[in-house]
Amino acid sequence: MAIVGHALSIASLLVSLAIFFYFRSLSCQRITLHKNLFCSYVLNSALTLISLIAVVSNPEVVGRNPVGCKVLHFFHMYMLGCNYFWMLCEGIYLHTLIVVAVFAEEQHLHWYYLLGWGFPLVPASIHAVARKRYFDDNCWMSVETHLLYVVHGPIMAALLVNLFFLLNIVRVLVTKLRDTHRAESNMYMKAVRATLILVPLLGIQFVIFPWRPENRLAGEVYDYIMHILMHYQGLLVATIFCFFNGEVQAALKRQWMQYKTQWGQRRRDHCSMRSTSYTATSITEVPTFMYHHDCNSEHLNGRHTEDSELVALKTGETYA
Amino acid sequence: MLFSFCPSCPLTPLSPSLSAAVCQCVSVLACGPHYEYAIEEFCLAKFRLDMQELDQRHWCSWEDTVEPYGELTNCTYLVALKMDCFWPNRLVDEFFIRVHKHYFHDCSMSGRLLRDPPNRILGPFIVVPILVTLLMTALVVWRSKRSEGIV
Repeated sequence: MAIVGHALSIASLLVSLAIFFYFRSLSCQRITLHKNLFCSYVLNSALTLISLIAVVSNPEVVGRNPVGCKVLHFFHMYMLGCNYFWMLCEGIYLHTLIVVAVFAEEQHLHWYYLLGWGFPLVPASIHAVARKRYFDDNCWMSVETHLLYVVHGPIMAALLVNLFFLLNIVRVLVTKLRDTHRAESNMYMKAVRATLILVPLLGIQFVIFPWRPENRLAGEVYDYIMHILMHYQGLLVATIFCFFNGEVQAALKRQWMQYKTQWGQRRRDHCSMRSTSYTATSITEVPTFMYHHDCNSEHLNGRHTEDSELVALKTGETYA
Repeated sequence: MLFSFCPSCPLTPLSPSLSAAVCQCVSVLACGPHYEYAIEEFCLAKFRLDMQELDQRHWCSWEDTVEPYGELTNCTYLVALKMDCFWPNRLVDEFFIRVHKHYFHDCSMSGRLLRDPPNRILGPFIVVPILVTLLMTALVVWRSKRSEGIV
C-alpha cells in the first residue's frame, strides 16, 4: 500500500514538473522554489520505494547487513530533511516578500538553495554518526531509538517556524493590506493559502503520531489517516501547488484551446482554406502577458501599465 | 532399554527427581544418544519454559537470560556427572549450538541488547541540530532582508 502511495506521488509530481517546465510563461521565483520542492519529493519517494522493496521486504539483506543499506538509510534521512526544509524555504520566501519587503525586487535565491539542499546534510550526518556509535543495529532499521529525533527534531522545528511565518503573513495581509488595497491582498492570500494548507498537513503526522487510540475502529481510522499523510504527501503537494493553481489551470486551458483550433484548422486546410490558420494562431498568442499578473507582482519592476497603482502601494509600504 | 549397570545413585539435594530418572536409564554406553535424550528431556524443557516466559525481544539481553542459561549449563553438567561422562563433550557442544541457533541467532555482534545512550549524551545530540536549524533559518531570513537593501 505504501508502494502505491509513493508511486502515485512520483507520477503526479513528474507531471507537475513537466507542466512547470513546459509552460515558460508560468516561471517566476516562486515557481522555481516549487520546482525544487517537487524534485526533493520525487527523490524522497524514489528512495523510499527502493528501501521498501530492496531492504524492508528482504530479511536476508537485513541479515547480511551490508554497508549499502546504511548508506541508503542516510540518504533517506537526508531527503526527508530536504522535503521539510524546502517547505520552510517557501514560507521564508513568502514572508520576505509580503511582510518584510513588500513588492521588492527579485531576491537572490542562493541562500534558499543552501537551506533547502545543503543544510539537511547536517542532521543526517549527525544521525549517522550517532547511530553508528551507539545504536548500530542491522541496516539501522529499528525505530525504537530516540536517536531518530536527531533528524525529526530539526524537521519539527522547521515546521513550527514555518507555521509561525505563515500566520504572521496572514496577520499582515488581513490587517494592513486589506485597508489599503483589497485586490492585491486577495491575490497574495491565494498565494499563501496553498502553503498554509500544506504546512499543517505535513506536520500533523508528527503531532498525532504518539497518540494511537485504543478503540479498535478509531485505531483503524487513525492508521489510514497516518498512512495517507505519510505516503501520499507528494500527491498532496503536487495537487495543491500545481493542479489546483489558478494560473496553471488557465495555461493548460489555453494550450488545449490552441490544440483544438489547430486541429480544427488542419481539418479545414484539407478544404484548402489556408489563410485562416495564420490569423487563428496569432490571436491565441496575444494575451500571454495577462497571465503574468499573479506572478509578476512578486517581482515588480514597473514594466506593465496596470501595475502603476501597485507601485504607489510599494512606496507607501516601505516607509510604513 | 539396558538397565545393565546402575552405580550408587545418592539422591543429591539439588535435583532428587533428576538423579532418580537418570539412574533408570543409565547403561555402559551412557555418553551416547541416551545422554542426548536425557539433556533434551530434562534440561531443555525447563529452559524452554523459562524463555517462553521472557518476552522474545529480551532473548538477546544477557542480564535477563543469564539465569536460565546458567541453569541449563548446570543441568547438563549434572546429567553428565550422573551418567559418568566427561563434561563438556561433543554432544553438549552440539546441543548448545542448537540452542543458540534457535534462541540467539539474531543478536547483534556485541552480544548485548541495543540500548539508547544515556541522556547526557542523547540530549546534546538532539538539541544541537535543533539550535543549528533555528540559527540557519534566522541567517537566511536576515540575508533575504539584506538583499532587498532593507536592513
